[in-house]
Amino acid sequence: MKRFGILSVLCLAVWSFALAPAIAAQDIKPFVRGSYQQIISARQGKPFIVNFWSLTCNYCVVELAMLKKLIKKYPKLDLVLVSTDTQEEEKDISANLAKFSLGKAEAWVFADSFTERLRFEVDKKWQGELPRTYFYSANVGARRAMPVQAISGKLEYKEVEQWVKQQYAIQ
Amino acid sequence: MNYLTIALFLAATLAVSPVMAADHASHGQTGAVASATAPVDREKVWKEILAKPSLAVSADFDEKGRLWLAAMRGQHIYVSYSDDRGVTQSAPVKVNAEPENFLGDGENRPKIIVRKGMIYLSYTQGLAKPMSGDIRFSRSTDGGKSFSAPITVNDNREIISHRFDSMAVNGKGYVYIAWLDKREQSAAEKKGEKYNGSAVYYAMSDDGGISFRRNIKIADHVCECCRTAMAVDTDDYPVVTWRHIYDTNIRDHALVKLDGKMAPVRLSHENWNIAACPHHGPSLSIASDGIYHAAWFSNAPERHGLFYARSTDQGKTFSSSLNFGNFEAQPAHPYVLSLGSRVYLVWKEFDGESTGIFGMRSGDGGKSWSAPAKLASTSDVSDWPLLIGENNRAYLSWNTKIEGYRLIEIDAEIK
Repeated sequence: MKRFGILSVLCLAVWSFALAPAIAAQDIKPFVRGSYQQIISARQGKPFIVNFWSLTCNYCVVELAMLKKLIKKYPKLDLVLVSTDTQEEEKDISANLAKFSLGKAEAWVFADSFTERLRFEVDKKWQGELPRTYFYSANVGARRAMPVQAISGKLEYKEVEQWVKQQYAIQ
Repeated sequence: MNYLTIALFLAATLAVSPVMAADHASHGQTGAVASATAPVDREKVWKEILAKPSLAVSADFDEKGRLWLAAMRGQHIYVSYSDDRGVTQSAPVKVNAEPENFLGDGENRPKIIVRKGMIYLSYTQGLAKPMSGDIRFSRSTDGGKSFSAPITVNDNREIISHRFDSMAVNGKGYVYIAWLDKREQSAAEKKGEKYNGSAVYYAMSDDGGISFRRNIKIADHVCECCRTAMAVDTDDYPVVTWRHIYDTNIRDHALVKLDGKMAPVRLSHENWNIAACPHHGPSLSIASDGIYHAAWFSNAPERHGLFYARSTDQGKTFSSSLNFGNFEAQPAHPYVLSLGSRVYLVWKEFDGESTGIFGMRSGDGGKSWSAPAKLASTSDVSDWPLLIGENNRAYLSWNTKIEGYRLIEIDAEIK
């Protein structure tokens, strides 16, 4: 199962997103204490977006459809998707992401029922409202110019596109 | 009655994770949304949510100081009582004889009010479709030995969202229930139109809960999945507050007295513009001197955290809001209770390791407040904090996975 998941991710990387929607299940990593730091450390200096969503949040699912459009147009966009559902719902999460062609995005799922603990590591000022999105800008010189922007609620395509264009220097 | 029944009942049966954000409701179920949500088996996910155990325990005191508790276990609601402040509890009595699915996650919980020998219960029954529910009511006229077969209060019977009930009983024994209702949204959808948010409705019973009169709409366009709150004014009319949607997506609070005259007023002004439902509703208490006390949460960029405001003119205008709680510690789910001119606030905070319930007290009707004090804590999942009053004493009522149910007298804790 795991191997299959990795394979599917590799396939996606090769075939890119312009092709048919991903159908294979992807690996969903368990999001525990330390996971958020791991996500950030792996991307030092690079621009990326972390999106928190849930299967039971309709605004989130609408937003995933928007992200599908965006990532199709900007395959370079480094998108991390963290589901605040439980590991028991992994199959549904995976199916959902596949349907939205978001199989390449790094995917996680909350793996601690004490969600306060996980949210605290992400952002002390986040009370759990969804969707919640963090924009990490690229380094300009030694530091990030606009380090992190946190937004609660469904985002509009245009505002995210503007950020992507700017961060990835796309004309 | 068997007193020896396990105090562990609640602790053991409810020792489970509350499902945070598990019903980030039926926002904007337009055609576009419906197709966007098609990929997952939403009904299956919904059933899984309904099957998840709930930590929610609601409590009330009767006039003799007996503590009454309502909790959801499996497909039944159970009521038990305690004569020693929750340490030991009576054998729980089943409310609904026929099994039902309940909403007991997030801000959902059973409601219990005990007055003049009557026990009133309201709750939300989960229906087959995702985010759908019915508002249910049951009562006991024999001191909790038995409960009436639950009735459905909403007179719209579509399998849509009728959820987030709040209940109040006035001095005449009239029962009022308010809730969030998607019937307008459903009607709009059938016509291919859009409807922003939910509506808020209420119904009243003037026969002690045997039957409810027709449903009356209070307001259109309210936030979809935040708890509503209700309290009774000194003139016996109930007052309702909820998170409203102003303009397109400004999700601040509104309040109205259900006297047939008042139009809803705006309670909060943080201008939180958010295309989502924060799952974080208000709390309301009306003191014997007629002062309204309200508490709520906002995460607007300019003004955020927990807020309190008071009204000395029956809700027509409110004081400027007091911002409380430590915003660096996820302050959440404030609850307010007034006992005459003494007013209490409790809320949740998280310090990185454990959840604490903090409280503060006012001795002058909410004009000035004590410093916050930590009343209790836990290092795993927990229910939201509630306040109940008995014989001029205020208590924190709180259920946690590890410690079980706790009732803590607040004046003993706040110096």
